Amino acid sequence: MAGSVIVITSGKGGVGKTTTSANIGTALAHMGNKVVLIDTDIGLRNLDLLLGLENRIVYTIVDVVEERCKLKQALVKDKKNPNLCLLAAAQTRDKSAVDADQLKDICEQLKKDFDYVLVDCPAGIEQGFQNAVAGANEAIVVTTPEMSAIRDADRIIGLLESKEGVEKYRLLVNRVRPKLIKSNDMMGVDDVVEILSCDLIGVIPEDTNIITSTNKGEPVVNDEKSLAGQAYLNVARRIMGEDVPLLDIDEPTTLIDKIKKFFIKKVQG
Amino acid sequence: MYDNEFFVVDMASCSSTGEIINSLSLALETLNHSGKRIVLKLNDSALNQSQMLSIQSLVTSYGCILDTIESINPQTLAVAENMNIAVQKPIEKRVENTSEFSDKRADFEQFTMNTASNQSDAIALKDVDGLHFQADLDAIKTRQDNINISSDLRNAGINPKEDFSEIEKQIISQYQIPDSGVETYEPFKSVDKTVDMAQESSSVGIEDIEDYTNAEKNSIGVYKKAYDENDITADDWEEVDFYETPTTDPVVSDTKSTTYINQTLRSGQILESDGNVVIIGDCHPGSEIRAIGDITVWGVLSGIAHAGYKGNKNAKVRALKMNAVQLRIANCYSRRPDSTNIPYIIRSSIFTPEEARIVDNEIMLFKINQN
Repeated sequence: MAGSVIVITSGKGGVGKTTTSANIGTALAHMGNKVVLIDTDIGLRNLDLLLGLENRIVYTIVDVVEERCKLKQALVKDKKNPNLCLLAAAQTRDKSAVDADQLKDICEQLKKDFDYVLVDCPAGIEQGFQNAVAGANEAIVVTTPEMSAIRDADRIIGLLESKEGVEKYRLLVNRVRPKLIKSNDMMGVDDVVEILSCDLIGVIPEDTNIITSTNKGEPVVNDEKSLAGQAYLNVARRIMGEDVPLLDIDEPTTLIDKIKKFFIKKVQG
Repeated sequence: MYDNEFFVVDMASCSSTGEIINSLSLALETLNHSGKRIVLKLNDSALNQSQMLSIQSLVTSYGCILDTIESINPQTLAVAENMNIAVQKPIEKRVENTSEFSDKRADFEQFTMNTASNQSDAIALKDVDGLHFQADLDAIKTRQDNINISSDLRNAGINPKEDFSEIEKQIISQYQIPDSGVETYEPFKSVDKTVDMAQESSSVGIEDIEDYTNAEKNSIGVYKKAYDENDITADDWEEVDFYETPTTDPVVSDTKSTTYINQTLRSGQILESDGNVVIIGDCHPGSEIRAIGDITVWGVLSGIAHAGYKGNKNAKVRALKMNAVQLRIANCYSRRPDSTNIPYIIRSSIFTPEEARIVDNEIMLFKINQN
């Protein structure tokens, strides 16, 4: 069975590509899929940190390309989930160390053994982006509800449309703050979708747990209490083809809010 | 008189003996001319007998013979004569020009003049590091397909003085490292070799790669402490007897040299050395040190350290604070325990100097001075 290669890209930096990759990868692996994450951000690698696998890396993607090791040797297994593997980027090189054909080759090989190959794309539209997109047949465009991120996402979608092989691209709106949207200080998710006219795959709320999980080296999906973690789990389900409704992200969190909502429901019902 | 066996090294830009030895070893190592007779061009610095001896022994260690010393300093010449080394005074002064272009042209003119009169087989080249190499024409002459400078040019009707830029380009291209990454690690000029992975592929031989593959990928063990961590107090410092007389003979390392670095190694930087490495500063996560001998870090070690990477199992890694992501000695690999797998450096007021060495094919951490 041939798995699908999904590239996670955004154009703009700092919108959460790497966090998204780590979390979707972990979530898919939790659900019993065989998943491999490829970090293509050569020279500025971070994915290993988010997964807490930094100390296990011996070989990197550059070693694979330059035939210093076999592809299987370079795959780092996750600490907890044996279904999840990481192909790390080299820290001591730059994007030109790998070219698009080589990455395509690697994706083709991994496709045979894994259900999902997730490619974490670097920021920008240069060599790194071209490499990451080369082998992909699906794309997830990450954006935040800010004008600059949306502009860059638009550019990326344009580039993806012109790329052969990328059959499907979907939008993931990250770092959404329901409160700001309510007070009209932030663009709503609907507005973003309308501007980009693109299918939505998920909405991730802003969550402070992300910061702590990054520092701990443990993806937030492992944390059941985290709202962002739940949202990522839902995204993973949608990738698997399930029809999951969007998470109610402005769910009241305090006890008083919950009681209020309960009474309102009763009155209405 | 020169012939093809001679290799002229121009050290006129070096003032101190250390600099001369450094540049000379670099030149000999880069160009690899064993069995050649060396003609050393010096400036007016005065060298005594011991300094001259060390230069001679260096040349001998590369399989070359120190044949002639060219200098204007009477003391240097006298010492050289005492040691049965032929001496000569510089014959011609280089044309001093401000622009680099005309400087090179002057070099070339000198060279063509020399070839024409068959006096010298040497050309002057400006290396990327600013070192002056005098490379012998012999090597170039053998590359008949590329350039045949001396007489064939004339036969072909090319005026060498007109077309020198092309020839010069070809000559320079032979000595330039083809990778553009060279400029990125400028800070380490004094280092034996600082590699940006680009060069790593060439510097690490196939045998070494075999060694890498011997280490099982996902089953790298954790390095452990060979002592109880709770025992450490600040008082430990006072217990160290600095004037203790050694019970055994000091171990003399068989590696070539020790490299001192007085700066912080940052993410993405690789330091590679043919000998031992001493770093006065921290090594941040993402940096890598590789040495044939020992590694000593006078600071926090948080990157990857690979001591004895050509297979020396007796190599050691020492640090004031050991926080290394991975420790590798010879073909033994170990990683940091996951419990301390925190991406930022923990700075502690108490530094516990530790030494990592192989015990029964496992890397163990010892308190320094612990047996």
